Amino acid sequence: MGHDRLERRAVISGVGQSVIGRQIDRSGLQLTLDAITAAVHDAGLTIDDIDGLAMFPGGGKANLPGYANGNLYEVQDALGITTTWRQGQVEGMSLPFYGPAQAVATGEARHAVVWRTVKEGSAARKAGGRPAYGSIHPRAEGPLAWLLPVGALSPVCQVAPYATRYLHDFGVKREQLAWIPITQRAHAALNPDAVYRQPLTLDEYMGSRMISYPICLYDCDVPADGSTAIVVSTSEAAGDLRSPVRIEAMAGVIDGRPAWELLEDFTRVGYATAQAMWSRTDLRPTDVDVAQLYDGFMIEAVWWLEAMGFCQAGEAGQFVEGGARIALDGQLPLNTWGGQLSGGRLHAGFGHTAEAVRQLRGEAGDRQVEGAEVAAVANVGGFEAGAAILTGW
Amino acid sequence: MQVSGGTDATVGIPPDVTEETEAFWTAASEGRLVVDQCDDCSAFSFPPRGMCRTCRSRSMRSVEVTGRGRIYSYTVNYQRWLPDLEVPYAIAIVEFPGCPGVRVVGRLRGCAPEEAAIDAEVEVGFEPGPGGYAIPSFVMLGPAP
Ligand SMILES: [Zn+2]
Repeated sequence: MGHDRLERRAVISGVGQSVIGRQIDRSGLQLTLDAITAAVHDAGLTIDDIDGLAMFPGGGKANLPGYANGNLYEVQDALGITTTWRQGQVEGMSLPFYGPAQAVATGEARHAVVWRTVKEGSAARKAGGRPAYGSIHPRAEGPLAWLLPVGALSPVCQVAPYATRYLHDFGVKREQLAWIPITQRAHAALNPDAVYRQPLTLDEYMGSRMISYPICLYDCDVPADGSTAIVVSTSEAAGDLRSPVRIEAMAGVIDGRPAWELLEDFTRVGYATAQAMWSRTDLRPTDVDVAQLYDGFMIEAVWWLEAMGFCQAGEAGQFVEGGARIALDGQLPLNTWGGQLSGGRLHAGFGHTAEAVRQLRGEAGDRQVEGAEVAAVANVGGFEAGAAILTGW
Repeated sequence: MQVSGGTDATVGIPPDVTEETEAFWTAASEGRLVVDQCDDCSAFSFPPRGMCRTCRSRSMRSVEVTGRGRIYSYTVNYQRWLPDLEVPYAIAIVEFPGCPGVRVVGRLRGCAPEEAAIDAEVEVGFEPGPGGYAIPSFVMLGPAP
């Protein structure tokens, strides 16, 4: 099938991260420069090779304290480079490498770096708890004007009704889906950079406090400080790169109403994106060796398990129950770095992409999945959605 | 009107009122729920965007929703996101059989928060919210069918 696909003309050439933790007492700019330097080195390139720069979120737009860091102009000035392509990524950018892949595939850049730097761990600590979404603005603007004033003050409250409807319609139990955070915690124990590494038990999960029913504490990702950078290169440069990873297929289709409360069917999220993504490759769900599926909240990983066809609609509870299928030696090892639930909220698919690249290269250390050749990556779902298949070189 | 199961909803973040949403918030202050209806094809649109979602006409008018709504989904918030925020409270996403395509998010009163249920019927209502604005606050009419 179609080797003319745009994404086949791009590779992910490098990933790099700063120190990651609940509170890192360094500026967002310094964390960003650490991550970029590491990613460029990881690609086998030098800073002078970089001619494309992109960051999330574009314009430093923030609705949470500590959300936006690493100003694009300051980073470019620090690096001292000339760019031929830049991008401030917005919500709905599909996956971090989507725009950069378009840029290198069309010759707008040869090697583009994209970063996401969070300081939400420090910000939550400073505020004495996880702050209200939008609380840094005096009034709720745009889509938030329908949510914040009525008390849906956090993304938790905005996503929770999806979980309510899912549990209701399919008769799935919380104690079944609990195995997603429990299993991911076991993976995090093998990741020295993960924020939470102690084992999590089913009793602890079921006994944890409810944040916004049916989402409990362990269904929420953990605010963190840290930066992730990803280098995307033209496939023409593959010979110059240390260990490139192929982008087999990628897609981001938004076919429902683009707002948390308006999406027509809360139980089927990400299906159009997954379908478009699968139409761009001959690979099938059974070919996937490892899955890095967005888990800002646990239910989001459920969406992608079903939308991408790893199990049928409403069957994620049975699929994950007991954890065997999603363990490192299972049929679909899930979020092998701990995901955002235990690894830390690196956000927007950046942590998930970095882990997919490491797994495909056999560089995932103690949490390496044996013989990982095909990785699935997905981001968010609903009004912003991206899915991709990455493969080893 | 104070209905049992309600908590003080005035602690929070008030809406930014725009050209598109002014009619909604003004009607809310009078205890009325209004949505947009198209002059050309009669379809409903909400939230108001100044364009019919069905035929893209720019000729819309505000009409009042008076019928019962039905809970599409809900959550019960237990987290004190802001100092002095009273918890817990239920937030319901409500649809209206008479107004296809309209969904409104509001607080839920008339029952304990834990009694919120999918498909339960609610009555349109409002209560004092942040910044002096009246916010949607639906009244539970009974258990889910
Ligand atoms: Zn119309």
